Amino acid sequence: MKIQNGYAHLAKSAFADFKRNKVRTILTSLGIMIGVLSVVMLIALGLGLKNYIQEQFESLGANLVMIMPGSGFGGEGGSFGPGFVGGVQFDEKDLRSLQGIAGVEYVVPMFFKTTMIESGNEKESGYVEGTNAESFEVLNLEVMEGEIFTKSDVTRKAKVAVMGYVIAEKLFGDPADGVGRTIRISNQRFKVIGVNKKMGDPEMDNAAIVPYKTTFGGINPDKSFFTIYLGVALEEDIDFVKEKTEEVLLKRYEEGEFSVTEQAEILSTINQIFSIINSVLVAIGSISLLVGGIGIMNIMYASVTERTKEIGIRRAVGATEQDILNQFLTESVILSVFGGATGLVLASLIVLGIRIFFPASINLLSVFIALVISTAIGVFFGVFPAKRAAKLPPIEAIRYE
Amino acid sequence: MIKLQDVCKSYFLGEEEVKAVCDVSLEIKEKEYISILGSSGSGKSTLMYLVGLLEHPSKGKILLDGKDVSRFSDEKLSAIRNSYVGFVFQSFNLINKFTVMENILLPTRYAKKAIKFNPEKRADKLLKRLGIYNRKDFFPNKISGGEQQRVAIARALMMGPKIILADEPTGNLDTKTGDEILEVLEDLNKEMGVTVVLVTHEKLVADRTKRKIYIKDGKIVDKY
Repeated sequence: MKIQNGYAHLAKSAFADFKRNKVRTILTSLGIMIGVLSVVMLIALGLGLKNYIQEQFESLGANLVMIMPGSGFGGEGGSFGPGFVGGVQFDEKDLRSLQGIAGVEYVVPMFFKTTMIESGNEKESGYVEGTNAESFEVLNLEVMEGEIFTKSDVTRKAKVAVMGYVIAEKLFGDPADGVGRTIRISNQRFKVIGVNKKMGDPEMDNAAIVPYKTTFGGINPDKSFFTIYLGVALEEDIDFVKEKTEEVLLKRYEEGEFSVTEQAEILSTINQIFSIINSVLVAIGSISLLVGGIGIMNIMYASVTERTKEIGIRRAVGATEQDILNQFLTESVILSVFGGATGLVLASLIVLGIRIFFPASINLLSVFIALVISTAIGVFFGVFPAKRAAKLPPIEAIRYE
Repeated sequence: MIKLQDVCKSYFLGEEEVKAVCDVSLEIKEKEYISILGSSGSGKSTLMYLVGLLEHPSKGKILLDGKDVSRFSDEKLSAIRNSYVGFVFQSFNLINKFTVMENILLPTRYAKKAIKFNPEKRADKLLKRLGIYNRKDFFPNKISGGEQQRVAIARALMMGPKIILADEPTGNLDTKTGDEILEVLEDLNKEMGVTVVLVTHEKLVADRTKRKIYIKDGKIVDKY
């Protein structure tokens, strides 16, 4: 009962003071608010980016082995290697040899290039993707109108294309109207036989997917592929397929010129990268929290000086040093937590807005940082001014004008 | 009740040691009405703060009901100040952001033991007795000096102290109001049996008390 009464009085006294210095109170809290806002937003955006990339990978079919040039993702020990630079380009010969590996259900080559796509008088920049019929399954693509091309379309180099939703919209107005129309890529004409559903992936939505053999010549003079996907029938065969794939490719290429990865490895590498990025972002955001904390300390020192007489009066009527310390500490913690909570609410609203086009998210860690860290800042930066207040000699304090 | 034995209090002004009070021995008995008379700078206020346990003496002992309290911890001394001593100051020293009522209740916030009375009821009673009940919800800077000093007296009485220490309580008031405040203090002494120590530089004020202690240059002297 008495303790409650004590805290109620502390809070009441703090609010009486805040009310008298409204502008100062708001400005002081603003420092912490901005700090918490920036940290929470950075975490939310970092997580969003991670979610986004993860979604992209997860949208690829299961039991997938990816062959990429360079040491690519996840070299030995899961480290992030030098990347795709300096790697090889794969060709049809590789496709044939990979097809021979036991357990491989299908082989999907990927040629990818930015290009201009024309239809009638419309001209838009987009991508052309040369691949085979199985890629629709691997990439989880579904047509909303028309159909996809077939194996025989690939073999007979048919000039047909399946359009991404967004590029079809740009060229034809209503994407569904595209079926049956003709597009031009690098002066070659293609008949549009299908339009995909909207994927939410800016590359796939802006691509014209054509049989890979059709690209040979004008569009893909090297007859090469950037990536090859292997669909494995059974999950337990994945390790064996990876091993065999390396064996097969090492006959033609040097170690380090290519990489063989499965989806799970890529996801774990992505997670690893983003946890590092996130920590760096949080560290940067924390600088503003620190600055906000110093702001609180500054104001609390000013407040102690301003209220020296009040401190003296309280001491005269029986307040202990500890009572005075608690009083000032309560104030700095309230200021700080108020700022932190406001920052959190504001960040939540912004994230809610961003979610319309980007999967940003506020997780428990953000809430934890906002509330616990802002309390800690209130205590840490409030304790020095509060100690000064508590240690003021009562007589000097009471005589202070 | 309170006994000072060879008490000294010195301050440091830069390098220089200033003896505000030196070798003072005095005893204040229960229910006494006394004054400490001295000119400004004589050390009379410091003496009062020592009696009120707001300061540790640099030398000597302070005995409260026979017990040496001069080396007590801050916590213990604060508890004694809270329940045993009431201060009244020249400049009233009310907290302006609190109402009259909240100012009077302030000492109850720092009570270290459970309070056995109802604080609001007692405050009401004190306000009525001091004739300022209608000022209960006012802020101190909205009422007159005389009223403010009555609020300060009510605050001093809130915890039922044994002793009231009044430092120039009439110093900021006109003669008529000052007289009224002195009458209030006299009544407290007579009717409630509270010990009142009046610190003043005015001989006329001091003359109203039963015993006078003269202080000059930090020492008790026989004559002023």
